[in-house]
Amino acid sequence: MNKELIRLKVNGEVHEVAVPPHKLLLDVLREDLGLTGAKRGCDDSSCGCCAVLVDSVAILSCVAIASCYQDAEIVTVEGIAPPGTLDPVQEGYALAGGAQCGYCTPGFLICTKALLARHPHPTLEEIRVALSSNLCRCTGYMQIYESVQLAIERAQAREAAKPAPVGR
Amino acid sequence: MASHSHIGKPLPMTDAPGKVTGLGKYADDLTVTGMLYGKILHSVHPHARIRAIDTSKAEALPGVKAVATGKDAPNPYGILPIGHDERVFALDKARYIGDNVAAVAATSAEIAEAALDLIDVDYEPLPAWFDPLESMQATSNWIHEQKPGNVEKEYHHEFGNPEQAFAESAFIREERYYAGEVTHAAMEPHSTLAIWEPDGRLTVHSSTQVPYYLHRTIAEVCEMPMSQIRIIKPLVGGGFGGKSEVIPLEVAAPVLAKKARRPVKITYTREEVFYAHRGRPITIADLKVGLTREGKINAVAARVVQDGGAYCGYGPVTVLYSGALLGALYDIPNVRYDGYRVLTNKPACGAMRGHGTVNVRFAFESTLDQLAHDAGMDPVEIRRRNLLKAPCITVNGLRVTSYGLPECIEKAAERSGWAEKKGKLPYGRGVGIACSHYVSGAANPIIRSNMPHTTVNIKVDRDAAVTLFTGASEIGQGSDTIQAQIVAEVLGVKMERIKLVAADTDLTPVDLGSYSSRVTFMAGNACLEAAKNIRAQVFAAVAKKSGCDPAVLEARDDFIFSTRDPGLRMNFDEAAVAAIDFHGALVATGTYAPPEEARGGKHKGAGVGPSPSYSYSAQVVELSVDTETGQVRVHRIVAAHDCGKALNPLTVEGQIEGSVYMGLGQALQEEMIWNEGRLMNPSLLEYRTPTTLETPEIESIIVESNDPEGPFGAKEAGEGSLAATIPAVANAIYDAVGVRINSLPITPEKILAALREKEKQRGGKVARSNGGRR
Amino acid sequence: MTMPACRVARPKTVEEAVRILADSGPEAMIIAGGTDVVPNLQMKLFTPRVLVDIKPIRALAGITMVAGGALRIGALNTLTEIVDSPLVQSNYPVLVSAVATIAGPLQRNMGTLGGNLCLETRCLWYNQSYFWRKALGGCLKKEGDVCHVAPGGARCWAVWSGDSAPALLTLDAEMEIAGPRGSRRLPLAKFYRNDGIYRVALGRDEMVTAVFLPARTVGRRGLYHKLRIRDSIDYPLAGVAVALEVDRNGVCREARVAVTAVNPAPLLVNEASEWLVGQKYSPELVERVAQAAIRTGKPLTTSASTPVYRRDMLRVFTRRALEEAWKNGRD
Ligand SMILES: Cc1cc2nc3c(=O)[nH]c(=O)nc-3n(C[C@H](O)[C@H](O)[C@H](O)COP(=O)(O)OP(=O)(O)OC[C@H]3O[C@@H](n4cnc5c(N)ncnc54)[C@H](O)[C@@H]3O)c2cc1C
Ligand code: FES
Ligand code: FES
Repeated sequence: MNKELIRLKVNGEVHEVAVPPHKLLLDVLREDLGLTGAKRGCDDSSCGCCAVLVDSVAILSCVAIASCYQDAEIVTVEGIAPPGTLDPVQEGYALAGGAQCGYCTPGFLICTKALLARHPHPTLEEIRVALSSNLCRCTGYMQIYESVQLAIERAQAREAAKPAPVGR
Repeated sequence: MASHSHIGKPLPMTDAPGKVTGLGKYADDLTVTGMLYGKILHSVHPHARIRAIDTSKAEALPGVKAVATGKDAPNPYGILPIGHDERVFALDKARYIGDNVAAVAATSAEIAEAALDLIDVDYEPLPAWFDPLESMQATSNWIHEQKPGNVEKEYHHEFGNPEQAFAESAFIREERYYAGEVTHAAMEPHSTLAIWEPDGRLTVHSSTQVPYYLHRTIAEVCEMPMSQIRIIKPLVGGGFGGKSEVIPLEVAAPVLAKKARRPVKITYTREEVFYAHRGRPITIADLKVGLTREGKINAVAARVVQDGGAYCGYGPVTVLYSGALLGALYDIPNVRYDGYRVLTNKPACGAMRGHGTVNVRFAFESTLDQLAHDAGMDPVEIRRRNLLKAPCITVNGLRVTSYGLPECIEKAAERSGWAEKKGKLPYGRGVGIACSHYVSGAANPIIRSNMPHTTVNIKVDRDAAVTLFTGASEIGQGSDTIQAQIVAEVLGVKMERIKLVAADTDLTPVDLGSYSSRVTFMAGNACLEAAKNIRAQVFAAVAKKSGCDPAVLEARDDFIFSTRDPGLRMNFDEAAVAAIDFHGALVATGTYAPPEEARGGKHKGAGVGPSPSYSYSAQVVELSVDTETGQVRVHRIVAAHDCGKALNPLTVEGQIEGSVYMGLGQALQEEMIWNEGRLMNPSLLEYRTPTTLETPEIESIIVESNDPEGPFGAKEAGEGSLAATIPAVANAIYDAVGVRINSLPITPEKILAALREKEKQRGGKVARSNGGRR
Repeated sequence: MTMPACRVARPKTVEEAVRILADSGPEAMIIAGGTDVVPNLQMKLFTPRVLVDIKPIRALAGITMVAGGALRIGALNTLTEIVDSPLVQSNYPVLVSAVATIAGPLQRNMGTLGGNLCLETRCLWYNQSYFWRKALGGCLKKEGDVCHVAPGGARCWAVWSGDSAPALLTLDAEMEIAGPRGSRRLPLAKFYRNDGIYRVALGRDEMVTAVFLPARTVGRRGLYHKLRIRDSIDYPLAGVAVALEVDRNGVCREARVAVTAVNPAPLLVNEASEWLVGQKYSPELVERVAQAAIRTGKPLTTSASTPVYRRDMLRVFTRRALEEAWKNGRD
């Protein structure tokens, strides 16, 4: 199959890669861009391990054909915080047991990030619904909810610690 | 006793940063220059002789670099020395739909897939066996010629005098239980990268729980010395037993790499993971339990048939665990067990979380609930009356050193509001209790030998970094963290100082692997020993340098200090250098082997079941049943688990909750559905592990019985809670609507059928409940 | 599992899309959100030469009130957008109730209404990998000549497994379809052919551009009940949508009941409107309609639960949905 040169904007950087036109975004991220954070967990788009943000909306990269997402802002787990730093969401999962084997974690982080961007203070029920297309086989989900709660607290604390804006 | 700095603290996992940034590498995340993609050709027949395989067309396809068949690697292997019945590719016969027949390595996954279609296999289909009860009657067409009647193994045990005890029982229940087949469904599909090195060595990165067994097996199959093979375990995305024996791709990739002289990666599709399987077998258990008028269980008899699939795997161990742990949770003087491991033309079963104990525990705890009912006794009370008195040795020779079950039962009952709820909730809502237990590692190794079960090395250099070399396999359970905590605690240093080099056969000494919940107990004890040795060397050097008695020294917060002389204080960096100068090097080794007394009795099969210590769990489930649809809504599960000592309460709770979750899946919705040996649901869409929405609140309660031999008193935490969840659900359903379902999973359909049956028997309508539907 | 090699066309307008479809014939396949297409492609259920990605067609998205008070929902609106839309929420509750049950939030963020209405029919013997089907020897719908669900029959019973269609049927929705000869309107009820293979009345060179919900069905009380094993990531095993108009005296003025996941098409239960209109609520009446629903639904062994149970639940769910709509609806 002939390859096609496509431009993808991932984690704020523009990449040009030559790939078969039908290649899936998940495979382009993992194989062509070396971004192996998003994972493949299933054959039929039913596990959520491959979630990424496309224009701030969480989607399944195993369903997306890469060449169809050339105008979008794509963010993977590697890009939810500047290199060398952690987003509150990442801190929450790292500290509260939200990541056991960690294989489902990138997908959960992406969906949590998208949720908190829309609802900074979700109820437990809203958290459960927002994470209901992500399967985790390790945690039983309890520590995932605790991780989200911790992420919310940490985000708030960071917000509070920000220097007050100058003037009015 | 001084309080601890690290032990007992809810510390985050040491490998969490890699996991939350996406930078940590799992096997499929790895690539190397020149890497080929491997794909395996699977059998389309459940049972067929292979007359011939023609690979010429596949080999001619551009991009194909190697094609391998059974002839390329004919040596048999298997996890048990008595069960070497697998070959990486079938030589003579294919034994299930999905069995491995050949493999291709090509420059892209697409080419490799296309090449599979070009391999011509000449099959002669044979009659196949799918039902275990039929299979064990087979007089011909045996799945393995050397296993007549398709029985892989059978065991018959009798302890005490069950016949007499039944005759003396006031209440007896005899029931048949059925448990459908379930599988691990770890989120990471298996993946193996085998690198053929320029010097003729082989490096294998694989998603495994048992790198050392893999090491041996590759050596045997590839006919290479072990010294020429290096196994590295990267991050592993969950195992639960599914990666605890050698999985075909782990040998297929090395065979292809050796043939192509190039690196080859094979990653299973989710469907292939289902064929690799090694999950919990279909189990048919005929159980008889006798109770005295006082509520003492005085006899148990069980006949258990397990549908093991086409290969041995861990099969004999599974069927032995079912027997050994059946009666040992309580004080039961008379036990008879007849266990059969049967071969069928389906993917091989194996070890899955709670290995061997789960399905019989469902049967036992359900029966006990009925007996409590018969005797007019509260289910909590009946359990209280049958407790062991530790330390003791059970009737089948298991040594119990610590026993937190009484406290588990009391706490679970109290926290769940048992006394206010049992039998008192409105029709449609109910509570159920059940208990379980599990080994903290097997006291006897799989391959008989006198070597330690675990060895670790610690090295401290002049930079005062403490490096722990451990063979133990972190698979998400937190074992790296626990080992680091133990070493940091003993040395009195900060956690950051500990570097862990783990599960790399070139660098780390042998550990048997992550199975049977052995790592915290065994590797933990080895770490304790090695760290104490290092500390003694450091103290000796410090004592020498400062002219004090080493016995007065203590280590904490990165300092060595004297309990006598407040002026004597040396930081760890200095102390480490002093020790290196003094001893030439600061290194130590720690090992662990279970004590002789823990290794069990002498009867045939006595080797399986003994453990240096056992964990215990008691759970209460509260749920509602919709009597018109049979649908169950679980509201809350309270799970109390005796883990000896919670070295890290955060990870212990995570393990308890994960176990309960998996038990809940098996109780209500997970099942592999078979049709003539064909798996009808080989996907995460159709094999329904619970999502966030069906998973209830799980409240975990840690009970600490402080085991005398566990590291800091610790026992296992990762498996023991699973088994109790299932019967607790079944018992709660009974409490809610008065029907008993003896078959797993407990689907709405089964509940509805049972309710209708009851209605018919009563000749009228029973009450209706919508299960608290909003 | 890999993707079959194919080209991807990215038309910017409906005309261009239709032209590509017409030019490529059976070799072309529309892809919208891809949540149905892509898994199916990887299973090699289809091997199109060209995928026509319609996402760049801006005109295909937008939820707007049009002249006369009808609501137009674009084929490309995602399921999440529909659930979140205040216009839909306040006017057509049954649609929100149904769409919110589709798959899980990630699939709903990608899946579109057009895709949901044009879904492939599903069957346990069909939605399997290339290897699996090869081991089976194929089925009537693909690569074989035997139906494993109804052996001996010449008809495919693969089941319609979409959740939004039954809700839209209860709202008398119309499809807007574009083809080489322009645009046409078709009542949704006429769109489905109740055939597992030829599922919809759509030409190879046609595409769905929008769905219209008429003004007269605004405010119908309604809800959707779905039988599934998991509460998320699960196609329906049976589903019932009801929409009622009930006057101040509790008399039913309009009624629709539709069932899904039990036939190769989503179907209206015709007796429902006839029997309910002009009536006040009574348990007997509702039970009678529920009985009619199970005469409409003819589940076979196409999915995890047994046909007997699915039929049973169709009855229970129909009764419950009617009760709830009647009693709890707003006026
Ligand atoms: C794990 C999982 C679970 C799911 N569960 C459910 C469920 O519970 N209920 C449910 O209803 N669906 C379910 N789905 C299916 C799917 O997600 C939704 O139906 C979704 O709405 C499909 O929309 P799409 O845009 O992704 O469709 P696509 O996959 O892009 O297309 C689906 C079909 O429609 C055709 N098509 C798409 N748009 C048009 C158009 N405008 N004109 C003509 N033809 C068109 C395509 O050619 C294709 O045949 C599930 C999917 C997955 C992966
Ligand atoms: S990989 Fe499972 S949903 Fe994408
Ligand atoms: S942490 Fe292992 S699957 Fe979620």
